[in-house]
Amino acid sequence: MDITSQLSTFLAAGGGEEGHKVTVNFIGTMVYFGLVLAVVFGLLSVARKGFRPGVFQGRLANWSEQLYLFIENLCVSIIGSHGRKYVPFIITFWLIIFISNLVALFFPTSPTALLSFNLGMAIISIFYVQWEGIKQNGFIGHFSHFAGPKLGGALVLISVMLFFIELVSETMKMVSLSLRLYGNIHGGHEAVHGMNQITSAFPMGELLIPVKMLTVVVQALIFCLLTCVYISLVTHEPHDEHHGEAHAH
Amino acid sequence: MYLPIALGLAALGVAIGLGMIGNGAMNGMSRQPEAIGKMQTAMLIAMAFVELVFLLTVFVGAGAFKGS
Repeated sequence: MDITSQLSTFLAAGGGEEGHKVTVNFIGTMVYFGLVLAVVFGLLSVARKGFRPGVFQGRLANWSEQLYLFIENLCVSIIGSHGRKYVPFIITFWLIIFISNLVALFFPTSPTALLSFNLGMAIISIFYVQWEGIKQNGFIGHFSHFAGPKLGGALVLISVMLFFIELVSETMKMVSLSLRLYGNIHGGHEAVHGMNQITSAFPMGELLIPVKMLTVVVQALIFCLLTCVYISLVTHEPHDEHHGEAHAH
Repeated sequence: MYLPIALGLAALGVAIGLGMIGNGAMNGMSRQPEAIGKMQTAMLIAMAFVELVFLLTVFVGAGAFKGS
């Protein structure tokens, strides 16, 4: 059996071919995603009551302020001074992935433990990066960037080759983003199941919860971090700041 | 029957890679504590790429291995 058909049957089964297999259909995914959205909107609507001019009141409002500052710091330090524009985009990803991973701690499955959901988020992320690149550099400018530096004569063949290699690598970004998240969360479920097989007297898998809590934070952070890196690759600082730098030197 | 050995080898390689990244980052952080923020970011990105290799091995390679 060749790899592609094997992979498709493997993915259709939703994970390993033996062992415990929690597969949910579309409606089930949407139920879990509705749970995640309910938690996010519930927390934020409570936190919103504390947002008043002057001083923020309430613990949730303070926490969400800290979260905002954390994501803003991430965006500004990676993308640059114009990165503040992308904070709403990144913080949405962070909230959805973080709450979904928290759901994965206590439920047999969660949106981020499903490859199709992660692939959807990765497609949104990568296509937004392409959109931003086209908006900043122009359609021709963005895609000619794939071909590498300008080469003359017969070396143009190398540019054509580079262009297709870069296209493949852009596509692989989606695969890597989604597979990383899926592998970590689904792998956590598999590890818990494996440890539960040791003895029936005590659920040994629950001892893994501290390790999984680390994964929860790190995976949400890495998805946002890589999206920031991809955005920073295609965008550049506004022109007036370049002028300011040129005058300063 | 060779699948567990193959997965173990993959895990071994990834563990060595992650350890080297952690080692380098720790050395750099202890030398320059003021650059911890930047180093953590770079370290996490590098770790994510190394970890992806193992995930690809498990989810793509192992599936193909079983089918053959």
